[in-house]
Amino acid sequence: MSTKVTGDIAVSLEGVTIGYDKKAPLAKIPSLRIKNGEILAIAGPSGIGKSTLLKTIAGLVPPLAGKIEVCGARAPSKPYRGQLGYIPQRLGLIRHASVFHNVLIGSRARFCGPIDLFASKEAKEWAKRSIIQMGLEDKTWEPIRRLSGGQQRRVATARTLAQRPNLILADEFLSELDEETMLNVIQAVVEYSREEAAAIVLIEHDIGRARRIADRLVVMDDGRLNPFLSETKTMEVRM
Amino acid sequence: MTRKIRINPALFAVFCFFTSVYLALGAVDDWGRLSTGFANLKTFFVESLWPPDWSIFEPRLYPECNAPLGFSITCSTAWIGMSETLKIAFISTVFGMTISLPLSLLAARNLSTPGISSVIRILLASLRSLPALIWAIFFVILIGFGPISGILAMTVYTVGYLGKLQYEAIEGMSSLPLEAAEAAGLGAIEKAINIVIPESANDLISQAIFMFEYNVRHGSVIGIVGAGGIGYYIDLYLGFLVYDKVIAYLILVFLMVLIIDSISVFIRSFFTDERPLNRPKWKSVLVPKRG
Repeated sequence: MSTKVTGDIAVSLEGVTIGYDKKAPLAKIPSLRIKNGEILAIAGPSGIGKSTLLKTIAGLVPPLAGKIEVCGARAPSKPYRGQLGYIPQRLGLIRHASVFHNVLIGSRARFCGPIDLFASKEAKEWAKRSIIQMGLEDKTWEPIRRLSGGQQRRVATARTLAQRPNLILADEFLSELDEETMLNVIQAVVEYSREEAAAIVLIEHDIGRARRIADRLVVMDDGRLNPFLSETKTMEVRM
Repeated sequence: MTRKIRINPALFAVFCFFTSVYLALGAVDDWGRLSTGFANLKTFFVESLWPPDWSIFEPRLYPECNAPLGFSITCSTAWIGMSETLKIAFISTVFGMTISLPLSLLAARNLSTPGISSVIRILLASLRSLPALIWAIFFVILIGFGPISGILAMTVYTVGYLGKLQYEAIEGMSSLPLEAAEAAGLGAIEKAINIVIPESANDLISQAIFMFEYNVRHGSVIGIVGAGGIGYYIDLYLGFLVYDKVIAYLILVFLMVLIIDSISVFIRSFFTDERPLNRPKWKSVLVPKRG
């Protein structure tokens, strides 16, 4: 039931200004295009506007100016249901619900209709698969509040993978993971991107790790008041 | 350039306290009355109120008690009144919550549009602006004396009161799960059922049990206007100035409130961070350990 995006571009930003206040914009992005199947890492110092950029692409924060197109939908229109998966920095899991319930929310977005009271068999199947993929099968029915920080990050990743989205926006989703778990998570996400030609935009503080995962790395820098990103094909672009 | 006004919270709290003291002093016209007041209260307590008359647990003289041996307490006014009050409180809490939960989802500003939210908030405010007692009078006039009037009065008040508690709890929940769901494209009903209700479960259950306890306490008040329950007997003996029986009924209500509070601790332990091993045993809930 995968809905493929028409065209090669998953995300396109033209002359976009991001922020919450027109008088104090966080950043200006003259042009940024992310292709389907591409993994883009965004690095930069704290407070520069990386998370706000991700939220703007996710349609959660309206841009102050400029044009945004995500999965073929031009803002303020939103992509089709289930096409966009978002992992917030603080994960956004339901603390009192089980791992399965949380992951099912992702697959529900893709495999169920908006008025379906019960999750479809397919949605449940994908939720189970993603839980196994993240090595959480023994925690399936545990409430989130009883899991460690690293396990919770794996649940958030499983939720997004179960959704089978065309675009994943991940805000520092690899922090708090031990080396072995981190490699497993990276492998799962990269494999997913390659198999489904899904674009991935991730915020990563660790430049070395970002280089290992991403096809392209861009750095948001506060060397200027209005930092911007580039389309240059070099591995690292510092503005 | 606009200048922002900053208020020191501690200074504001001190200001509120002294303003209240000043207003309270203005409300007392004769401090001398307090000198005889305590003596009167002592006389009333010793001569009329204490000891409580526990005959309220004895079977009524009429109608004749047909309960099996050992169960004659079920024919007592305390049992009949309290069981009716519990019934009224339980039914009205369940009905009230069934109506208030969808309304509170519509009233919460993080889920609903400002227009719908405002309309529902006005509706809820209007329902709780009349005390349950006034609603009871209204329904007694409408359908007559009896528990049904009590149930309807309590249900209406529960919707107004519980609805407000619920939408405030929903507004206080973390926005992150909602953001993740919104980005994925989930609809409002899905978000409400799959995210908001599980995430606020602890608060919602706590509030529902508090409302049940509130309804038990107020069940004793609305009975006074003929809406059934233990309040009927409290009113009856108040009218005859039999205060030792009244205090016995009030102690019964107090004990019931304590039991409900213990049940609340136990049920909410399923939704707190405690692990199953630490879940309280009934004994530890009813008899807290020292130290």
